[in-house]
Amino acid sequence: MAGLLSYLLRRILFAIPVFITVSIITFLATNASGNPVELVLLGIHNRTPETLAALNAEFHMGEPIYTRYFLWLSDFMHGNLGQSLYSGTVASKILPWTATTLELQIPALLLSFGIGVPLGVFSAKRQYSKSDVAVTTTAIFGISMPTFWLGIMAIIIFSLNLHWLPSFGAISAFPPYWWGSIPSDALAHLILPLSVLTLVSLATYVRLIRANMLDALRQDYVLGARASGLSDFNVTYKHALKNAITPVVTIVGLSFGSLLAGAPALETTFSWPGLGYEFVVAATSLDLPVVQAITMIITIMVLVANIGLDLVYALLDPRVRIS
Amino acid sequence: MQEEVLLPKHEAGSQRGAGQWAVAWRRFKRNRSGLAGLAMVGFFAVLAIYGLFLDPVPARSFACLYQGCSNLPPFTNWAHPLGTETSGIDVWQEIIHGSAGDLYVGIGATAIAIALGVLVGAVAGYRGGVAGALLLGVTQIFFTLPVLIFILLFARIGTLLVAQGLGLTLIVAILGLFGWSGIAFIVRGEIFRIRELEYVQASKSLGASQSRILFRHIVPNALSPIIVVSSLLVAGNILTEVVISFLGFSDPSASTWGLILEEGLQYVRTSWWVSFFPGLAIIFCVLGFNLLGDGLSDALNPRLRE
Repeated sequence: MAGLLSYLLRRILFAIPVFITVSIITFLATNASGNPVELVLLGIHNRTPETLAALNAEFHMGEPIYTRYFLWLSDFMHGNLGQSLYSGTVASKILPWTATTLELQIPALLLSFGIGVPLGVFSAKRQYSKSDVAVTTTAIFGISMPTFWLGIMAIIIFSLNLHWLPSFGAISAFPPYWWGSIPSDALAHLILPLSVLTLVSLATYVRLIRANMLDALRQDYVLGARASGLSDFNVTYKHALKNAITPVVTIVGLSFGSLLAGAPALETTFSWPGLGYEFVVAATSLDLPVVQAITMIITIMVLVANIGLDLVYALLDPRVRIS
Repeated sequence: MQEEVLLPKHEAGSQRGAGQWAVAWRRFKRNRSGLAGLAMVGFFAVLAIYGLFLDPVPARSFACLYQGCSNLPPFTNWAHPLGTETSGIDVWQEIIHGSAGDLYVGIGATAIAIALGVLVGAVAGYRGGVAGALLLGVTQIFFTLPVLIFILLFARIGTLLVAQGLGLTLIVAILGLFGWSGIAFIVRGEIFRIRELEYVQASKSLGASQSRILFRHIVPNALSPIIVVSSLLVAGNILTEVVISFLGFSDPSASTWGLILEEGLQYVRTSWWVSFFPGLAIIFCVLGFNLLGDGLSDALNPRLRE
């Protein structure tokens, strides 16, 4: 138990330098011109002395750059995410955006993992059979495809031609609602982006699980388990899969950042008002406070997810707890 | 008789003749999906060269706007086999010109990432102590970062401020600078394995300098995993480039597949072909590099060698 705690503590301590690096990179990127106010002014057409003064106060202009960094970071840590240049405070919007992103990402993660693991095991158990070839071929097409392109194709087929599902947004702004009520309307909007995201992440999991299962099924302990008369199900899922899945959990944890990376393009394709879509809108219109806030929030989400997956990893692999 | 079987001199000689690359190629040739991948990559390389040097139609030509052949569906006019956009741009021509842009980004960014990754990984693996730990920490940080967000941020700020004329080279540099961490991990692991081998000890006892041992003796022996990962990294970089251009964060005057997809989404209600065919080009190019990587991984893996 003490081993597990110190392991977790080390992982949490590692999150701190990542967070600081991200904050420095974010701050420097948005201050690359030396003067963020000038950068922002490029995106504003009606410039008045008032906007200039407001912007100067917002970015703490007049202080040296390192003081501005610490002022900005301290504002951020106190929950003051600044003022969007076009509408309202960032803090009031970031929660609904995050919720909308998670509404898409978490079901996709659970679905693709839930389908991907049994499918990968199935494929590995029947290596080189017709069904294995079918699964691996589909999977390699899946990882070679831009997620959002599959999204565009889904929109063309299911929204524009068949008219079965809506093509944009997370909810209808006004009636008529899809399938009668507001909850069913939200569901109708979720189906296309969720299916597309699930299908594409599924491909990654199937390939990883299959490769690791092929390795695990050839190990001596599997032979030993079989020889001791355990059922095929027991050998496959309790013995082989338990060892095959640990590296997959590591990879999922470490690559959570790139999993979220599909979000900006996919959310833009479906005009899904989550963090990715709003990031693209804000970066395009140079709404720097929003850009900074979203970058930091996504980083925090990635770090929290990493620590969570480290915990899962430690529970799955006792060696982590001991050393 | 017995001795000849035990010491087959001629065979030892012929094995030296067939070096590790010849053996790898012989194994690769038998891998049909790997060969298919090589063929796909070759096809797009030919397309890119044709587009750069031989194609009479320039990139992003709006000629059809004046000739009345804009918004043509595919397979109706053989001068424009895959149709045209509302703006008059020919989809097939843009696929040709886009392959040069996307291969440049995919391969160029991978080259930068390999150079950085090998350097950081080699030093982190060979030097223990503070320097090694520090480099490992930096690698872990870059591995954990939500990289695409930063790539988009830098692409946006970069195109705006520093590099308006640089076009795709800016994207190459950004993708390379953010993409090396995976390679550094692999190189570091390989070096931990190799530096304990006898021939490294031997060259150390002969008095070779540290950098000579590292870059002449250890890094060349860590090449096979680097080669495999590079192929997969090119595939990943092309997909990222497509996202960057699709979101409008790249140079809007450079021809890339992502840019056509962006226009395809605009015209999605009227012209499905504008997004459909460039998407196929992306899939087959990326698939080619993925299959090539898988094939190389089988061919270069000594554990699978007969």
